[in-house]
Amino acid sequence: MREEQDELIQHVVDELKVLPVVPVDATARVLARVDAARRAGTPSASASDDDDVIFFPTATDEMAAQAPTLRPLPSAATAGGSRDGGLRRRFVVSLPAAIGYALAATLAGFLIRGAMPKDSAQVAIAPDARTNDTSIGARTTVQPVAGSVDRAAQEKPVAVQFVLDAAAAKSVALVGDFNGWDGSATPLARDSASGAWSVVAAVPPGRHVYAFLVDGKVWTLDPRAPKAKDSDYGAEQSVVIVGLP
Amino acid sequence: MRRGPRYVAALRYLATLLVVAVLTSASSRRVGGQEAKPVELDSATAAAIAPIVQQARAANLPIELLYAKAREGQVQSAPVARIEAAVRALAARVQAANDALAPNATAQELGAAADALKAGVPRETLREMRRAGRDGSLAVPIGVLTQLVLRGVPVEKASVQVVDLLQRGAVANHFIALDERVRADVLDGKRPDESLDLRLKGIIPNLPQQATADGAAIQATTPKRPR
Repeated sequence: MREEQDELIQHVVDELKVLPVVPVDATARVLARVDAARRAGTPSASASDDDDVIFFPTATDEMAAQAPTLRPLPSAATAGGSRDGGLRRRFVVSLPAAIGYALAATLAGFLIRGAMPKDSAQVAIAPDARTNDTSIGARTTVQPVAGSVDRAAQEKPVAVQFVLDAAAAKSVALVGDFNGWDGSATPLARDSASGAWSVVAAVPPGRHVYAFLVDGKVWTLDPRAPKAKDSDYGAEQSVVIVGLP
Repeated sequence: MRRGPRYVAALRYLATLLVVAVLTSASSRRVGGQEAKPVELDSATAAAIAPIVQQARAANLPIELLYAKAREGQVQSAPVARIEAAVRALAARVQAANDALAPNATAQELGAAADALKAGVPRETLREMRRAGRDGSLAVPIGVLTQLVLRGVPVEKASVQVVDLLQRGAVANHFIALDERVRADVLDGKRPDESLDLRLKGIIPNLPQQATADGAAIQATTPKRPR
């Protein structure tokens, strides 16, 4: 995935490096008028009738006249020398081109940022909208709302250990509201020394209910945790309250 | 008609933008596809809850809460009708919670608030908690309030005290400490409401004491404490 994004970013950079060709006569004409206006003491922004031309300090006017096409932005060293033989270094870019660069860079930034993987705070159990509501996936569909970003950032999952003493069990799984009650999502591992089963699961801050499924079917409460009766389905559940990370 | 160089340049930029958008969109879809991990609901359950889910999605509510509730019923081998009723009731509570915590509750907060409403916490308490809690997540305070109520503390008393703690600047760890101490006291035979009063005396002196003017009415109903 990282390589794909690197390729994408490289592609964007390559595309943005390609600069449009500006006719020789047009650039030379503009530069000549600018130079004339500057000699007359007129501010450069109004030196030309073409009011959609902006200037950046860079290459000399002579250079522009000799090779009157747009040049890449100068290096720091080049930009540092602003004067050469009495002539100010200038770099001429048409306003539409500058706006195009800005728009392209802004849009590319937003789009690439949107393609980045979500962080761990957004790994909550959620349905996959593409499967016609018949499956549950590990990708959230919660839409971030303006103003809720800080609160969502506070709710990053915390590593919580769950332990069950069940020496005779062949398998133990953790099911709870934090893993979508998925019996295959969080299996416990047997500790060979103690015989206890345990797992460390990522649980978001807040109050959660859970249970253990022993051998795939036996609903078992956590003897170390408080219990609560669930009025929806009637079974008792264990309760854990997880603090902020 | 002859097109000028600016026209050609503009077309070129437009084409570049389109290429970037298409490539990035495709990349984004691949990210989602690779992370998806399907867990099937049986077809009868899926069909039964589909209209409820659709309604919740239209209201921009976090539908994973509804799927989790359905899955919970499946794990416990509940009949489809019971699962549908549970999911429908949860959807109504999530909607109410969303209204109370508006405008920008997180999914965790909504899940916690839905549970609180189920335990008997009034919507107005959730609104007061949002006002008192400012920018902090309410997932933990609401969860502790629910647990206090389920443990036997009268809901009015628990609500007032939790809002008061938020106004005084209590954070998640204060609430968790309070819950653990009350739990230990109840296991030891103390009455839940007496334990709450007792344990608040150990928590409040350590708070930043940031009660606001908005909380004056609520504080007036609680015993005065030294500041």
